[in-house]
Amino acid sequence: MKESFFRSMTWMHTWVGLLVCWLLYLIFFAGTISFFRDEVTLWNQPALHQIATPSNRIQIQREQIVAGYDYLKNTAPDSNRWGVYLPSEREPQLNYAYEKPRPEGKRFGGWQDHYINPVTGQDVDQPRETQGGNFFYRLHFDLHYLDTRTARWIVCLASLFMLVALISGVVIHKRIFKDMFSFRSNKGSRSWLDGHNVSSVLALPFHIMITYTGLITLIFMLFPYPAMTAYDNGVRGLFDDVQPTNVRTKSNPEKASLAPIEHVLDQVYTNWPDADLTQVTIRDPNKASATITVRANTGSLVQDQSPTMLFNGVDGSLIAKTNQEFSASETVFDSMTALHTGRLANPLLRWLYFLCGIAGCVMIASGCIMWAKRIRERMKKQQTASFGLKLVEGLNLATLMGLPLATCAFFIANRLLPITTAERADKEILAFFLAWLAVALFALFKRGKRQWIQLAWLNCAACFSVPLINAITTEGNLISYLINGQWALFSFDLICLVCAALFIVQVKKLRTATSKTAPVKRSSRSPKKQLEEQKA
Amino acid sequence: MNELLQFSLCLLAFNCFALAKFNHYRDVFKNRPTKKQSQRFIIAAWISILLSLVLSVAQNNGYGALLFCGYMALSLLILMIFYSFKASWVKIMSAVNITVLMLSGLFLSVF
Repeated sequence: MKESFFRSMTWMHTWVGLLVCWLLYLIFFAGTISFFRDEVTLWNQPALHQIATPSNRIQIQREQIVAGYDYLKNTAPDSNRWGVYLPSEREPQLNYAYEKPRPEGKRFGGWQDHYINPVTGQDVDQPRETQGGNFFYRLHFDLHYLDTRTARWIVCLASLFMLVALISGVVIHKRIFKDMFSFRSNKGSRSWLDGHNVSSVLALPFHIMITYTGLITLIFMLFPYPAMTAYDNGVRGLFDDVQPTNVRTKSNPEKASLAPIEHVLDQVYTNWPDADLTQVTIRDPNKASATITVRANTGSLVQDQSPTMLFNGVDGSLIAKTNQEFSASETVFDSMTALHTGRLANPLLRWLYFLCGIAGCVMIASGCIMWAKRIRERMKKQQTASFGLKLVEGLNLATLMGLPLATCAFFIANRLLPITTAERADKEILAFFLAWLAVALFALFKRGKRQWIQLAWLNCAACFSVPLINAITTEGNLISYLINGQWALFSFDLICLVCAALFIVQVKKLRTATSKTAPVKRSSRSPKKQLEEQKA
Repeated sequence: MNELLQFSLCLLAFNCFALAKFNHYRDVFKNRPTKKQSQRFIIAAWISILLSLVLSVAQNNGYGALLFCGYMALSLLILMIFYSFKASWVKIMSAVNITVLMLSGLFLSVF
C-alpha cells in the first residue's frame, strides 16, 4: 500500500484505468455509434433512403395495422409469428414481416420483411442484407465473437473498473474546478493530461451516469440471488411477475381462426386514445394459442418499458396490460435503463449524448496514450523499452487507430459487396474485424510515430472514401441529402468528412512534434555552441 | 427556442464562473478582477445555471436533467476552446451569448 491516501488513489486510478482501457474504448466507441443505431441502419439500406415519414403518421396507424393484418393472413398463414412494424420519426418505413420456416433444431427462422412506403403505399425493393447500427449496438455489450453471457460479464467488470477510475480520478484531480477551462497545447505530456482532464470533466455527470446505469441494466445477470430466492424460476419468474405482458402461453398446434384486428384495436384506442403505436406482433397466428401484442411509444417519459397490451388472438380478449404506475424499485430500474439507452431521446438530446460519448472516447484514449508517453519520457536515452511498454504502445495503436478504420471498412463493405452475396450481413462484419486485425498485426511490428502518421493517413482516406463510395454507388450524396432535408443521411456523410479532417489535423500535429524533436537528435553541433545560440 | 434559452443560460453561467477566476479574467480584460467583481460573477453564474436547470426540467420532464448535463458539456467545450485558444474573442462570444439569451427570452415571452 502506498504511503498516503492521495498516492494510493493515483496508483489505483492509473492501474484500474490502464488494465481495461482498450476494452472500454471499444465499449464507448460502439456505444456512442449506437445512439444513432436507427440512422446508421437507414444509411446501410439505400433502398429505404427515398422514404419520408408521413405528416399524419399517427392518424393512419390504424389503417396500416388492418392492411398489414390482411396481408399477412393471405401471405403467411402458416408462419409462427407475424409483425406489423409501424413507421416512426427515425425509421420511416412500414414493415409487414413474418417468420420464415424454422430449420431443424433452431428456435427462430429469421424474419421475411416486406417494406412499404407509408406515403405512397407502394412496395419498396427488398433492402440489402445488413446488420447496420444493430451490429454496433450488440458489439457494445456482446463483443460479437464471444459467448453472450461471458461477454456481458467482461463488459460489466470493465464498467466497474471504469466507475472506480472515474471516482478516483475526481479524488486525485485537486484543481478540478480551477482547470475546468484550461487546455495548454504543444506542451508534451502536460497537454495530454489537460486533454484527459478536460474530456473527463466536461462530461463527468454523463460518464458517471452512463457507467453506473450500464451496470444497472445487467444487474439481474450480476446479482440474480434475490429473484432466485423469491421465485421458482428465478429471474424469468420475476420478469413475468413484473411484466405480465411478457408471459408466453404454451404453443398449441390446434387450428383456430384469428379474432378481427378491429376488435383488438378498438380496445387499444379506448384505453389509450392518443396512442402512438410502434408495433403489433402476433404469435402462433391461426392456432388456438394465438396472442396479439400491441406496443406503444413511451413519449417523453424516462421509461424503457414500452406500454404494452397482450390479447388473446382467438377471441380478442385482453389478457394483460403493463402497469400504469410502477413501484419505486421498478421506476428506478426502468428509468436507469432508459437513461442509459437514450432510446426515446429527442434529436438534440441524442446529439448531446453523442458529444458526451466522444468525450468519453477522448478521455480513455488520452489516458492510455499518456501512460506510455510518460514512461517513454522517463526512460534514459540508451535504455530499451520494456515488454509492458511495447505492449501498451502496440495496443494503443491497434485500438485507437484500428477501430475507426474497421468502422469505415464495415461501411465500405456495405456499399461494395454484391447485393446477392450469401450471408451478406456477416461478410460486412467480417470486413470490420479483418481491417482491425490488419491494423493489430501492423502494430505488432512497429508502433512509432511514423506508424501513427501512416495509419492516420489511412484512416483519413477511409473516412473520406465512405461518402465518396456512397455517392458513386447510390443515387444520393451529401449535397442531395442537404437539398432534400434527409438530415440523418446528411449528418452521417458529414461526420465522415469531419473525421477525415480530424485525421489530417492529427497528421499535422504528429509531424510538427516530429520536426521539433528531429533537429536535436540529428544535431552534430557541440553543446557549447548550442548554449551560445540559445543565449543569443 | 426553449432549448436555445436553456443552453444560453448554461453557457452564460459557465462563462461567469470562468470570469470569476483570476487567470481567465486577466486573459480577457488584461487586468485583475476585484474581489467584489468575482463575487458578482459567481452569484450571476449560480442564478443562471439554476435557471437553466429549472427550465430544462420544467420543459422536458424526465429528460430535462439529462439535457442539462448535455448543455453543461457543450458549454464547457465551447468555453475551453475560447479560453485556451482565442481568449481575445471571449468578449464577442459573451456579447453574442447575451444577445441570443435576450432574443430567445423575448421570443418566448411574446409568442
